[in-house]
Amino acid sequence: MIREFLKTCCADPSKFLGDWFVLLPATVLLLAAAASVVMRNLIHAALCLTLSFIALGIVFIALGAEFVGFVQLLVYVGAVAMIIVFAILLTRPEQLARSGSALSGFGPAGGAAVGFLALAVLLGFIFSSPLAKKPLPPPASAPVAAIGEALMGDHVVALIAIGVLLTASLVGAAVIAMEDKP
Amino acid sequence: MDLLERAPIELKSWLLNWLGSFGVPEWILAVLSAVTVIGTVIGVFLGLFALASVLERKILARAQNRYGPNRVGPFGLFQPVADGIKMITKEDLVPRAADRVVHFLAPVVMMVPALMVLAILPYGRDMVPAELDAGILYFFAVGAGTEVAVFMAGWASNNKYSVLGAMRAIAQMISYEIPLVIAAIITAMISGSLSPSAIVAAQGGFAFGFLPQWFALTPWGFTACLLFYIGALAESNRSPFDLPEGESELVAGHLTEYSGFKYATFFMAEYVGMFAVCGMLVTLFLGGWQAPLPFLAIVPTWCWFLGKICFVAFTMIWVRATLPRLRIDHLLAFAWKFLLPMSFAAFFSAACWHYAGRGPLAWLLSLAIVAIPYLILGASFSDRFSVSRRTYQFSE
Repeated sequence: MIREFLKTCCADPSKFLGDWFVLLPATVLLLAAAASVVMRNLIHAALCLTLSFIALGIVFIALGAEFVGFVQLLVYVGAVAMIIVFAILLTRPEQLARSGSALSGFGPAGGAAVGFLALAVLLGFIFSSPLAKKPLPPPASAPVAAIGEALMGDHVVALIAIGVLLTASLVGAAVIAMEDKP
Repeated sequence: MDLLERAPIELKSWLLNWLGSFGVPEWILAVLSAVTVIGTVIGVFLGLFALASVLERKILARAQNRYGPNRVGPFGLFQPVADGIKMITKEDLVPRAADRVVHFLAPVVMMVPALMVLAILPYGRDMVPAELDAGILYFFAVGAGTEVAVFMAGWASNNKYSVLGAMRAIAQMISYEIPLVIAAIITAMISGSLSPSAIVAAQGGFAFGFLPQWFALTPWGFTACLLFYIGALAESNRSPFDLPEGESELVAGHLTEYSGFKYATFFMAEYVGMFAVCGMLVTLFLGGWQAPLPFLAIVPTWCWFLGKICFVAFTMIWVRATLPRLRIDHLLAFAWKFLLPMSFAAFFSAACWHYAGRGPLAWLLSLAIVAIPYLILGASFSDRFSVSRRTYQFSE
């Protein structure tokens, strides 16, 4: 059976990539995401979240979105996960215990209700949008050069706007950090 | 000479043909082909690691006017073997309060990115294990896993020195990653591709028949190369940026609670990562596998690549022997207040160089754009750090 499996994946990699290379990391992604919610230990939860980021990156790469996958790994694993970890380490455990969210009085049932409500709203908008009625375009592989040209050509205004926004937030962060200077 | 140049490729295809003549099925050959490439690359880099572990001690010893390892084998060259046996036979200690699973996983997670980044380096003409469109992005994306591993090691050890060391390491890696990535992006911008082989190809040819057109030989490229070099030193936690492991204050940082083979794994991953980042520096700025002079092109390209890697690694050891360790606030201030503005200056300079036609005028313009911020920043720093009576800000 393993021989058959390897045979198909070497003869026609796309077939192999199409199925298992997406399903396997997608399963890991779901399990890790679920674990990160359930875990009692905050650091373990953060590490599971990191694993789910990595799995999501692999899903992107397996689906042919190489660029998005690598950026997912670079930004989420390299920066966001580390910031989460820093936030956990810099907060004292007793602070974490005392601070409850606004919904903590409702227990798990309240949390589940809010979650499903949010999901319902999202799904409602997704299925009612005009995009959902359009037929699926054929899967396109996006080479990095094409993405670059699209960003610098058609979407250059959005790119510059995001640049201004990020610069503003960076300056803001610097101003906040500078507060204690005499 | 052409035979020697193509020797690794020919050897592989000969091996596969030889196996094919025994009627080995096609799919096994396909798997074997991949395994030979992976095995060769990992083997070469582990060999470099073994060599570096003894040569580093030899060079440091030479710099400090002593002998260094000289008991095992001729000139102490078998020292890595002795070290390896010692490491494997040592007891593997896990602290009772440690998080056993994460403690075990950390060295494994550390090793994976260190080996994975080797896949996209162009080792010679037509010798790239994985030809990726976004190779440089892959290099940095996979490299991000190292930070997770360092954090896991530090936290799982349940030791204050380990956690402090890990937090220093992560702060340092995040800060120095920005100039590192910007320096790499500049070369991608000039050569119009994120693929390492395209960047090497863009540095081919010789000006006036003898001057190599490496990026490091232009004003912006020289600046970016130095920025990348400093960032690479910091990313691989090497001296003078080795304060995550500063033994005088933190025992050994995130490695404190590791012993035996797990420690050896960390050590190995650090050295392989160092060689990988040296390989990236060579690819981006020092012309990759290109020969430095036209008549030296008879030497196989993969020899040039390995030779350049060894040279850059040698300079890293040299720096370690020369410079004292930085203090953590100096280290971070240096990254944010000097390297970051300089990397933007280099970026702007490269753009001007490109649009001014890449001629002598462009050369002067780009030199001015890099030199003026350097002088201004340098002056501002020397003013602040002038020799004077020390004032203690936080402790009286």
